[in-house]
Amino acid sequence: MSGPLIRTEGLVKRFGPFTALNGIDLEVHAGEIHALLGDNGAGKSTLIKTLSGIHPPTEGQIYVEGRPVNFRSPRDASDAGIGTVYQDLAINPLLSVTRNFFMGRELRTGPGPFGMLKMDEMDRITHEEMVKIGINVSDPGQLIGTMSGGQRQTLAIARAIHFGAKVLILDEPTSALGQKQQMEVLKTMMRVKKRGGIAIIFITHNEIHSQLVADRFTFLALGEVIGRGTKAELEGEDIRHLMAGGHEIRDLELELAAV
Amino acid sequence: MTQVMTNMPKRTEADRLDRGGRLDRLKRRPEIGVFLVMAIVIAAIAVASEGNAFNALGLKNNLSIISQFGIIAVGACLLMIAGEFDLSIGSMIGFAGMSMAMMLKWGLPFGLGPATPFTAFALTLCMTLFLGWLIGTIVVRSKLSSFIVSLAFLFFLRGLTEVSFRVINKSTQISGLPDYKETSWFADLFGGQAFGWVYDIWFRLGGNANRAGEQWVAGFDMRVVWFILVAGAAYVVLSRTQAGNWIYATGDSQASARANGVPVDKVRISLFMLTAFCATLFAACQVFETNTADAAKGNLKELEAIAIAVVGGTLMTGGFGSVIGVVFGAVTFGLVANAVFFIPAIDGSFYRVFVGAVLLIAVFLNESMRKRITGGL
Ligand SMILES: Nc1ncnc2c1ncn2[C@@H]1O[C@H](COP(=O)(O)OP(=O)(O)OP(=O)(O)O)[C@@H](O)[C@H]1O
Ligand SMILES: [Mg+2]
Repeated sequence: MSGPLIRTEGLVKRFGPFTALNGIDLEVHAGEIHALLGDNGAGKSTLIKTLSGIHPPTEGQIYVEGRPVNFRSPRDASDAGIGTVYQDLAINPLLSVTRNFFMGRELRTGPGPFGMLKMDEMDRITHEEMVKIGINVSDPGQLIGTMSGGQRQTLAIARAIHFGAKVLILDEPTSALGQKQQMEVLKTMMRVKKRGGIAIIFITHNEIHSQLVADRFTFLALGEVIGRGTKAELEGEDIRHLMAGGHEIRDLELELAAV
Repeated sequence: MTQVMTNMPKRTEADRLDRGGRLDRLKRRPEIGVFLVMAIVIAAIAVASEGNAFNALGLKNNLSIISQFGIIAVGACLLMIAGEFDLSIGSMIGFAGMSMAMMLKWGLPFGLGPATPFTAFALTLCMTLFLGWLIGTIVVRSKLSSFIVSLAFLFFLRGLTEVSFRVINKSTQISGLPDYKETSWFADLFGGQAFGWVYDIWFRLGGNANRAGEQWVAGFDMRVVWFILVAGAAYVVLSRTQAGNWIYATGDSQASARANGVPVDKVRISLFMLTAFCATLFAACQVFETNTADAAKGNLKELEAIAIAVVGGTLMTGGFGSVIGVVFGAVTFGLVANAVFFIPAIDGSFYRVFVGAVLLIAVFLNESMRKRITGGL
């Protein structure tokens, strides 16, 4: 196996006086689903926002396929093959499926932003890509606002993959969904993994989901890595323990009982 | 006893969306409400004016004011779709008119010699586009609401216009400029007439004649042509181009658009420049048609432009709107504003009563439409 797709070295991110990330080392490998776990405010979203070019890191270095990179915008990151599906999905609810799918990368004839959109071709590609990933949208002109949460999630994933993402970052993709739709998203992730070559970073608060799909785990607490390992190395008990930021579940149970 | 449901649905996701027939889809278009209002207004005014509103002269006058409204409302609509307001449109009209008329009367600034219609227009356009850029840049950089920034420019530009008039011209009006449209093809582009053939044919068919039996009206005002050009271009850009996609996305969810690489700041600044351009166009047509200027020109026009955009189905919250709806809105507002000339019995102020009522209804309709298309958020 070759080196990691993404590697970070001593990544630090400060917001003014506040240290959101304090020296994160991370390795993400192709063909793996990498679960990023940790309590609220641990810094998971901040970490992936630096990986996807939204926040420049205060210190430290990101490497993509071994090469050091400095992202100045989300566009730089997506050009380098990092496709991010944000917690809020970065979709425009009042626009159609197709227009969302191609947002910012529209197919057009003619130069510049005043080039004509190739609507038919974009409709066709959108439909094909959505079918490939498991959703049959009947009308690519349908507005996103009328789609279900799972469908939106899937659209965002399909979009990232279509535009050449080698690393797919999913920030709590299942958090707002019903049981069946959560499974749809997990299935989508497994399908993406099967296609091969793509690494997935999966942020979740759901221990069961992470155990169902993830190959490798990294645990964050207070902006630092407090544990890591492959599925084989970690026991369910460890995972629960680390997810709680290193607190013993039994302690928490006692605290709850004392209220 | 509970019975376990075992008959899983055999339908697929694709079956759930009933696209309905042609009529159903027509009924769901955002322009449908304003279209009905427009149809009623046209019919009512035709009847009440005994057809005078749509005789040769009536049609010319009505289309003239419709185009005035339309030119600025299209600009306001695009900007609103991108999620911003421009309250400086009216003052920008006054400023641009003042600038052109003063250059024509007193010569170009910095002792550059006498102005031609072209140089007066070009220099004025440079200034207004710069002002539009400035407003946009302040909004984008400061992250303040465009409502408050452009409100500042509403006062600033109106005051600047009046002061400049008084200092240079000693009066807040200019009248009696030479009739440039007779001598300059460029002035004729704004102040002249167009579509003369319509009236020629009309005359030959037996209408459009005055008491002496000669041809009565020669053509439409040029601003009708400008309105068609502006609306046509806006329609194509908005619905068919990448820029249009970016405008919608910017107003719908700015953060999402930005995350997908849409240059949302450039989009917004460009649209503030567009509304400044529309205001300049409005002013140029006025100056070159009447050969006059007045510091009070364009007063309250920004609010009418916004009202027309809203009545045309543009969402106050951005992200949704239609140029076709704005065109219908401009027709409606223009006809009602002009109605007093054709129906002497009514009070001209009913126009404002009408605007208020229609605006309120439109906002409610738009809101329910927004709820429907976003699935009730
Ligand atoms: N732009 C910002 N400015 C200042 N502080 C920030 C900013 N973004 C995040 N933070 C802070 O950084 C910390 C980490 O936030 P982050 O969103 O990364 O947490 P998270 O692990 O994703 O939490 P959750 O599970 O709730 O999504 C929080 O304390 C947050 O308040
Ligand atoms: Mg988060």
